[in-house]
Amino acid sequence: MNTPLNFIVVDDSKLDCFIAEKIIKNTGRSETVNAFQQATDALVYIKTLPVTTTQTVVFVDIQMPVMNGFEFVEAFENLPEAIRQGYSIYMLSSSINENDIAKVKGYSSVKQFLNKPLTNNAISVVLEHFN
Amino acid sequence: MSSKDKIKVLYIDDEQNNLVSFKASFRFDYNVYIANNTDEAINHLRQNPDISVILSDQKMPDKTGVEFFEEIRKEFPNPVRILITGYADIESVINAINRGHVFRYIKKPWSEEDIRSSIDQAHKFYITTALLAIKNEELQKAYNELDKFAYSATHDMRGPILSVLGIIDLSKNTDDVAEIKSMLDMMENAMLRLDNYIQNLHDYYSIRRGEVEIEDIQFADLSKEVCDIYEVTSKMNNVKFDYIVNQTETFRSDDVSLKIILNNLLSNAFKYQQKSKADKLVNLNIEVIKGQAIIAVKDNGIGIHENNIGQIFNMFFRATNEEVGSGFGLYNVKDALGKLNGKIDVQSKPGEGTTFIVTIPSK
Repeated sequence: MNTPLNFIVVDDSKLDCFIAEKIIKNTGRSETVNAFQQATDALVYIKTLPVTTTQTVVFVDIQMPVMNGFEFVEAFENLPEAIRQGYSIYMLSSSINENDIAKVKGYSSVKQFLNKPLTNNAISVVLEHFN
Repeated sequence: MSSKDKIKVLYIDDEQNNLVSFKASFRFDYNVYIANNTDEAINHLRQNPDISVILSDQKMPDKTGVEFFEEIRKEFPNPVRILITGYADIESVINAINRGHVFRYIKKPWSEEDIRSSIDQAHKFYITTALLAIKNEELQKAYNELDKFAYSATHDMRGPILSVLGIIDLSKNTDDVAEIKSMLDMMENAMLRLDNYIQNLHDYYSIRRGEVEIEDIQFADLSKEVCDIYEVTSKMNNVKFDYIVNQTETFRSDDVSLKIILNNLLSNAFKYQQKSKADKLVNLNIEVIKGQAIIAVKDNGIGIHENNIGQIFNMFFRATNEEVGSGFGLYNVKDALGKLNGKIDVQSKPGEGTTFIVTIPSK
């Protein structure tokens, strides 16, 4: 039996948020899906959400104005352990920049780097870790 | 040769007679500055940063010529240094040359030919070095931009393509026509974004590589052409748009650059509006006065946070994700202004609006 999961999508592109939401809903694993076009809003949401036992999967884009994906992860890593342990972060990008990909590996809270667009296949591979 | 074009030479010697005879011999060929002590010499250098050759006597009471050169090298690295000395000091001269403080030495008593050929060669060296430094700086800037460009190209060009691919993938799994139609709208938006990016890119290269073509500018015609497009935007987005052109004198400039400037400033003014606000407005005011064009673009939109104002002209910087932007627009404006020797000022308050004031001199 697959456990239900919460999902958060952070992407400044409305379109990419839409794609991610669709793909996530298609998996049938989502209890909730919340999309944010501003990383700061997502961070506030995470901070104020009561701690639950349901795991939350976060897909965050790297290149965003105001607060980019790396800055988001850095801010996330400063949150209390009690909050952080409920989250698994995946970074997404259209970038083929080696530096970005290498940089992702430096963040302990980031599980993996994924190429855009998010596809049914890619997400099912990710979700295998949550059975 | 006018005195402006003459090579500027500084000669330092503690013996007044030498100074006088040096100036008498060379004042027609060079712009000669003389100093009988090192303080005076430094004063000349500070006031005339374009002095290209310094000649110094080695034996002076307060310090030697080599010591003087060593001392000023940090503050004035560019002028080429020539030492004038007798045979007795040959050791210190060799040292100085080897350590790079001195370009050449002239032995006493000097002949006019010696001095002339040394100064001319030193000046040539100065010009070459200066040009090289400028070219290096330009190259470095070009490299940095290329890096940024390569980075952005994957994001701004690939981004919309990948989005559309994602949507296509999704649409394959649905038979709902209404849903497919809404997906088509999304794809259209993504393609418009890509097209906008490519147009900005084209602007960027026309400013960068294009030659400036100076012609008589009629701001009434130019702004009508640009503003016609924005009249449509104004109606569609319910933004009041007024523009006034006041030109009674001739103004000469580059048409393409001016259009890029106007287009970007207006496009931003319409784009960064407060959606819920009732009396949205954009004003354009162009005034040509005393050989200057003053272009003011004012909106009462979202404004720019003061922390970001310093960065808005940087390539790919984006202060907001309220709207779709390439991070190219204001960079292009600044680049175009650079070609026209113009400048731009910004006044902005978050929630109240932004005014850009561009000042361009007639060419």
